[in-house]
Amino acid sequence: MNKIVKLSVIETKMFFREKTAVFWTFLFPVLMIWLFGAMFGQFEVGGMSYSNAYIPSWIAVNIMTTAFFGIGMVLAGYREKGILRRYQATPVRPWMILAAQTVQGTVIFAFSVFVIVAFGFIKFDLHLPEYLGSTILAILLSLAAFFPFGLLLNSLAKSVRTASAISSLALNVMIFLSGATFPLEMMPTALQWVAKFLPLYYVIHLTRHTWNFSPIWENGLDVAVLVFVGVVSIALSSKFFRWSGQ
Amino acid sequence: MAEVIAVEGLIKRYDGIEAVKEISFAVKKGEIFGMIGPNGAGKTTTIEILEGLRKRSEGEVRVLGLDPGKDQYKLNRKIGVQFQATTIQELMKVKEALSLFASFYSVASVEVEKVIHDLHLEEKLETYFKDLSGGWKQRVTLALSVLHGPEIVFLDEPSMGLDPQARRELWDVIRSLQEKGTTILVTTHYMEEAEKLCDRVAMIYDGRIETLGKPNELLEELATNYLVFESRDAVGDVLRNLPGVASVEQEGEVVRILTEHLQTTACHLFKEAEEREWEIRAFRFERGTLEDLFVHLSGREEALRLRAAHDLI
Repeated sequence: MNKIVKLSVIETKMFFREKTAVFWTFLFPVLMIWLFGAMFGQFEVGGMSYSNAYIPSWIAVNIMTTAFFGIGMVLAGYREKGILRRYQATPVRPWMILAAQTVQGTVIFAFSVFVIVAFGFIKFDLHLPEYLGSTILAILLSLAAFFPFGLLLNSLAKSVRTASAISSLALNVMIFLSGATFPLEMMPTALQWVAKFLPLYYVIHLTRHTWNFSPIWENGLDVAVLVFVGVVSIALSSKFFRWSGQ
Repeated sequence: MAEVIAVEGLIKRYDGIEAVKEISFAVKKGEIFGMIGPNGAGKTTTIEILEGLRKRSEGEVRVLGLDPGKDQYKLNRKIGVQFQATTIQELMKVKEALSLFASFYSVASVEVEKVIHDLHLEEKLETYFKDLSGGWKQRVTLALSVLHGPEIVFLDEPSMGLDPQARRELWDVIRSLQEKGTTILVTTHYMEEAEKLCDRVAMIYDGRIETLGKPNELLEELATNYLVFESRDAVGDVLRNLPGVASVEQEGEVVRILTEHLQTTACHLFKEAEEREWEIRAFRFERGTLEDLFVHLSGREEALRLRAAHDLI
């Protein structure tokens, strides 16, 4: 247990020493919310004000960026640099490394939520979630689904370059097609269908709805999809974990 | 003394090509055992099989009585490993790396303090790994590999890229580990290192052990003994026909004779010199280095290649 705590603490410290990562994780979402707010701030989206629709969406997006870039890519980098191989020669086991990365990712994500939500209160008319418990549950469920998913995708990549390509592609497709930036209602029917195959769509749907309209148990489909993604990813990420690129 | 490493008929194939071709050797407790050979000879593959990081294709391997292919996790606690390309996270402080690895092995902080003291790491504890010089990086990764007081320490090219001063300091650290009873298996391609540091050396060339023994014995056993003298009169062709002579090099007045039988050749040399009235000065026996031996073993073509490479440096 001590191993995981130590790993998590040191990994988190090292994250905050990486200035560019800090910028992308904490300031980029704020800039985006601000920018889109300047353009669409006065519009209502599906019965929600701008900030109450988009701040939950950006929380969802942050779950994904943390999963892919905050922890998944970091792990791919460690693999390429031989850091994981060094760990392989110690009593540390794969699941401990995955667990520590998950803890570290959660801490960073929690910080980013705090920053975004505070910004929403100060700059816009964000209200607290209508179903606070449900929102928290929804976020935890999404973390449990997306962190292993990000770790799995990055384990499958042979090099950091591939990992980065996979992550960027996944991120861009999902940001634009899952309703995180542009309302899905504005898109052609075909794209709306594509959106339903993207896991992020369900995270966004779930966070938005628990924030604004209904408790988590009334959003069964979202929950089912996320549980499925989580279970499959957890099962596979340990199995496909590789210490080195060879 | 007890054998802590036993290797019998070890073979490793990559895509059908044999990188290690039937290697057998044993390492005794408390020994500094060296594996020397050029890059690509199979040293790293062999050492990583012993560490349990690579699967072997054939053969028997026992490390501390365990099979590294099956009992890797058990073995991990008893051995210390330093890789050739040593990396830990760049933004990790030395202090953090030590406490992280200590937690991996559940090592008490008293022990960590001892290692810090023994390796004189005090002044670098707050430094990021990326800001350390090559010598310090090696020292830190060495500290990480010995924190838990392992019975065997595997060091893969520990002195690569170090300046002579740093290399000597590293040897002192390795020797002090030996004094505590630790067995050390070290790979290197520096002949000097094998000669001065190791109790026994296995020379690996093209996936095979070419020869194995104490550095002194290897040098004596193999024809790397020279007669050296100065003479204005000596004739190369006569020298070449003396008993035991393998080769003769003449540079100005300096003559260097490579012979398999020092005494016999020397005796005949003086006899010949008396009869022909040669004047011989500054006569001495000179021993070849492991470098000479290695060149000798690697064959002529390889020797030329090495010499060319050496000249470039």
